[in-house]
Amino acid sequence: MDTLVARYSRPTYDETVTEDMEEELLDPVASGLSLKFAMPPVAQPSSWLRSATDDRMNPDCPIKIAHGTTTLAFRFQGGIIVATDSRATSGDWIASQTVKKVIEINDKMLGTMAGGAADCQYWLAWLGMQCRLHELRHKRRISVAAASKILANLVYSYKNMGLSMGTMCAGVTKEEGPALYYIDSDGTRLAGNLFCVGSGQTFAYGVLDAEYKYDLSVEDALALGSRSILAATHRDAYSGGFINLYHVKEQGWEKHGFSDTNPIFWKTKLEKGEFTNVTSELV
Amino acid sequence: MCTDHGCASFIDKAYRCDQPEWAMPHQAEARLRVDEPHEDQLLERPTHLQHTKQPFPGYHQKMEVLLGITGKDFTIVASSKAAMRGATILKAQDVKQRQLNKSSLLAYSGEAGDTVQFAEYIQANTQLYSMRNEADLSPSAIAHFVRGELATSLRSRKPYNVNLLLGGLDPITLKPSLYWLDYLASLAPVPYAAHGYAQYYCLSILDKHHNPDIDLETGIKLLNMCTDELKRRMPIDFKGMTVKAVTKDGVIDIDFDDDKVVKSA
Amino acid sequence: MSALFSQNPLMNGPNYSFSDTPVSHPNEAHGELREHRFNPYTDNGGSTLAIAGADFAIVAGDTRLTSGYSIHTRYSPKVFKIGGTTADQKDATIVLSVVGFAADGTALRERLDAACKMYRYRHGKPMSVNAAAKRLSTMLYQKRFFPYYVYAILAGLDEEGKGAVYSYDPVGSYEREMCRAGGAAASLIMPFLDNQVNFKNQHIPGSGEGHAIQEREKKPLLREQVEILVKDAFDGAVERHIEVGDGLQMMVITSQGVEEHYLPLKKD
Repeated sequence: MDTLVARYSRPTYDETVTEDMEEELLDPVASGLSLKFAMPPVAQPSSWLRSATDDRMNPDCPIKIAHGTTTLAFRFQGGIIVATDSRATSGDWIASQTVKKVIEINDKMLGTMAGGAADCQYWLAWLGMQCRLHELRHKRRISVAAASKILANLVYSYKNMGLSMGTMCAGVTKEEGPALYYIDSDGTRLAGNLFCVGSGQTFAYGVLDAEYKYDLSVEDALALGSRSILAATHRDAYSGGFINLYHVKEQGWEKHGFSDTNPIFWKTKLEKGEFTNVTSELV
Repeated sequence: MCTDHGCASFIDKAYRCDQPEWAMPHQAEARLRVDEPHEDQLLERPTHLQHTKQPFPGYHQKMEVLLGITGKDFTIVASSKAAMRGATILKAQDVKQRQLNKSSLLAYSGEAGDTVQFAEYIQANTQLYSMRNEADLSPSAIAHFVRGELATSLRSRKPYNVNLLLGGLDPITLKPSLYWLDYLASLAPVPYAAHGYAQYYCLSILDKHHNPDIDLETGIKLLNMCTDELKRRMPIDFKGMTVKAVTKDGVIDIDFDDDKVVKSA
Repeated sequence: MSALFSQNPLMNGPNYSFSDTPVSHPNEAHGELREHRFNPYTDNGGSTLAIAGADFAIVAGDTRLTSGYSIHTRYSPKVFKIGGTTADQKDATIVLSVVGFAADGTALRERLDAACKMYRYRHGKPMSVNAAAKRLSTMLYQKRFFPYYVYAILAGLDEEGKGAVYSYDPVGSYEREMCRAGGAAASLIMPFLDNQVNFKNQHIPGSGEGHAIQEREKKPLLREQVEILVKDAFDGAVERHIEVGDGLQMMVITSQGVEEHYLPLKKD
């Protein structure tokens, strides 16, 4: 009888989180980074979402989400170099040339952003929160392995819901030394020496693989990271803007500039004689 | 005359034209596409295939590696040795290149069948030109001729799906040249070039390390950097590279170490 | 980031409103997946723009509301004061502009306003812009799987009194910028702003040859200059975009509060 009553006394539609403003206003915790998401009132939310937001599947989709990137990170004797470009595109439109694709999870650990800009920003901020909670609970810093696993488990729980992210977590801890993990929205989590992620990844890999050694000096490592991003901005139209460069050490990360690619390109070409395919005369 | 690839008969056919000499412009005669069936002999494509626009390169076509590098006095042309059909490597020693005349070399990739047919058609016609005129076509002339043929083909009922690199050395000035052509008949003269997925890995390396004044040895070292990266990052084994270079002594074969093991970072 | 919805003739060809988009979806032919026809969105056109100055910020938007080729009203504001003590928003210090789907815009405005008012009630002080900016981001992301079809821009003065502009994409990625255009004519206005506000591609005459030429020094614009710039940007957009026109609503945020101006735009 109770089940019958329950079935027939349901309101005509489910009240979703959106309509539930009261809770959000009264509960200060609910207004933070929570795991409660509004869902469209359909049987297959993910396919609905894809039709509304995936411009590759449906070019007329109303909501275009920013994509396209080159990000890289590699381990070496002096820590980890993290470098990214700064362009965000939606379709052919360059939505921004000044995106900060290196996300400072806390003052010891960095994350990189490729794929959906909002997904990366939100979940890496959320990861920062989890790392802080870990510190408060256990009175010591979280390992990069554990932090990356938290993120990987989270995105895996949303698998096939439409999240799109390819991210790297970089940090140096006493126990692990320099540690680098790749996590993507499929649920992949890999530890490694060297990763490039995004539409320009292959171009960055080309330059990076050719001269990468674990014994690189800090100066050479920074130059190689920056040059690899430059290579990608030159050949991948979805990458460009500024080169964002970081060096992660055990004491924490250090920022090495957010520099415009254009003058760097011309300096590289004219002073080092590279990019010989770029000519000033018409052929 | 080249008898290795059976092109003698092509030349014969193009040369022995039924029409009187004056009825046909000289060039048009040489450019006849030898395998084009007569209009009434054309086979209809099966109806279920008619609407499919075929000529877009598939996955394994893009896995074929073509690389070209120019230097001070040479042009290197290299192609992968694997002949792939679906999930199988049919042959691991395939040579996807044809020498056109003393100082030009054509490397090709793309749709099975189309590639060799088109390359040998170009080969036959450049050789025909050499015999008629007792002078070789320059690499630039060949490049523009090939582009014209591809453009005509693209607008025909059955387009050739072939991507090409044309390496050459000007017989008089000894200036090296390299031309990049794709199946859509784009033509670009470039200092270095690649086709297929190799572009994505190699162009950035060449952007950084190439210089127009390099000697052949340095050129080969550069090529090694590229193939090392392909071995590291490409998901299939392309079975090594056929490497040739156009120099002032003509087209020379270059010994290339295919068995080098590359370690990943 | 704050990706812009760019369905204008310049970029994407003809602009269909969603409701009368021709049936092009491959699945619709087969009668399966009818669920995909659940389409709670429409594009109501219009454009917005925000510029940050040294001690002020200006947010502007046109007031036309369209759907497809029909103009529904000539005065429907897109720029709102947020987080005042009362409903009249007299003491508000933050301004939100929304463009895209008008109903989602209204919903978002009301939610952010309520959150800011709640903050004021709990903490006894108004919310700072950077806090409100973060709050708006999470609000948009809460609807990651059923997004607000809205391109939002938030502006105010930061804790040092400098002008602050935050721009958003529909699912909440955000960035602080000097200027941002959103909506239908974003692709027309943004290049103009890049040149006039950030001095992109401007060089000092006679500063050298070739690559030695120096970029023009970047400095924040004066309020009078920005007001003229905003009007020029919209006049240009009205001339070339069908969804922009009728009226220009402009909010100027200074340490004295928020001033609102209304200027006419062409009405054809």
